Order: sequence, then C-alpha cells, then structure tokens
Amino acid sequence: MDEPAFGPEEILRVLEAHGVGCVLIGGFAAVIHGSPYLTNDVDIVPADDPENLRRLSDALRELHAKVWTASEPQGIAFDHSPKSLGEVRVWNLVTDHGRLDLTFAPSGTDGYADLVRDATHLLVLGVGVNVASLADIIRSKEAADRDKDRLVLPVLRRLAEES
Amino acid sequence: MRGGQIIREARKRAGLTQVELAERLDTTQSAIARMEAGGTEPSFTRVAEAVRACGVELVPHLARLDDADWSVASTNRTISIDERARRHAAALRFARAAREAMARG
Repeated sequence: MDEPAFGPEEILRVLEAHGVGCVLIGGFAAVIHGSPYLTNDVDIVPADDPENLRRLSDALRELHAKVWTASEPQGIAFDHSPKSLGEVRVWNLVTDHGRLDLTFAPSGTDGYADLVRDATHLLVLGVGVNVASLADIIRSKEAADRDKDRLVLPVLRRLAEES
Repeated sequence: MRGGQIIREARKRAGLTQVELAERLDTTQSAIARMEAGGTEPSFTRVAEAVRACGVELVPHLARLDDADWSVASTNRTISIDERARRHAAALRFARAAREAMARG
C-alpha cells in the first residue's frame, strides 16, 4: 500500500491547533525559502519540555501517526506518551497527510532553543509556523552531509547569498 | 555565500558564542556580529582564520557552474510563500500521478 498523499499544510495545521512549539526545518522549510527541490516529508524540531511533549502526543494522535519504515510505508501503529516521545531523539512517522519526521537535535544544531532564535514565524497557506532560517537549514545539511544534502547545498547557499 | 555566513556556520557548529569567537581571534564581539550580518565583508584569509578558530577547516571546492536549479530558485524568490507551497504541492501531485501511470503500464 502507498503512503498517503503529502499534505504539509494539514500536518502543520494540526500541530498549530494543539499549540505544539516546534521549528520547521529540512526540505520543506527550504522550499519556503525558495528551494526548487521537491520533498515528501515535513521535518520539525519540537521543544522537548514535558508540556510541549504532551501537546505533541495529542497532535500525533489526531494525525493518526504511525512509525514509518521503508518496508512498511503505510506505517506501524505505536503507542506513545509525552515521556516515550522525548526518550527517542528521532522519529520517522507517517500520518494521514504523509510523512512527518521529528528530530529533537538535528545534525549540527542544539535543537529547538538553538533554532527558534533565528526562525521566522510565517503564515504558510493560512497556517502559522516557525520556519528555520536558511543559514540554520544550511548548517544542518552541512553537518548531516548525506548525498541528498550535498546536492541541494549549492542552490541553498546562493539563495542565502542573494537574500 | 558570503564570508560572514561561513563564519557564522562554523561558529554555530562549534557551539561558540560571538564573544567566545571574538576572544579566540583577539577582536570584539561587535566585529564578529558585523561580519556575520554582512555589515563588513571579511577577506578570504580572515574567513579561513575565523573558521580555523572554530576547530573547522575551510576546504575550497571548485565545481562546474550549473544554473538549471538556480533558474527555478531565482523564480521562486519572486513569488509568494503560499505560491511556492502550492507549486511544490502541484509538482508532487504530478510526480505521484506519473508514478501511478507508470505502475499501471
């Protein structure tokens, strides 16, 4: 079975409705900054205080989030609590509206407090979202240093240079 | 990419504050802030020196110029954020439909 169609604004809308404190990073944040590269997931960096983890857990329930793996792209059901969410630093999930990756400390960063400092609060398709600065997206991709990161970095650097 | 942006990236990666980097370079926090913000443009030598003070090496790499992706990105800069998101969604829908058509043969 295929993954659900990607609806980033729906994922972000539910996170916002539950008051989840998070910063959007990764490929979709780069698209908002002007990147021409397509992405199939939303990457967020949530704050990891207990109250925010409770809100996050509630939002994930509403999104029917499951654990994504390449062999089970429709997801594996999992039970979660604020505590269990905070104990794992990276979650690859699939929701009713496509892929959602949670990372508490993306490569090259110290997590939410580090990223929110230079993030910009934007309205994207009617949804309020903290978008990581282009410089921080570049920093994270530089540190991750995967093939797909190296591919997009020249254009992201040029966007940063000309912004 | 501006030299100040490279310095900021190296400093953040090293987990240093502007004050700490300034101490390592025997300069002031405000000088670091000006370089990072683009108020002053540091020389290549100064950038390399600052990066090294962060415990990172600046390795220049020359690559063939390919403006194909930049052409799309530069267009994206002229349209609204919502329009960027909509065009991205439309491109994904097209790619998905194409994959499904391919699978159907």
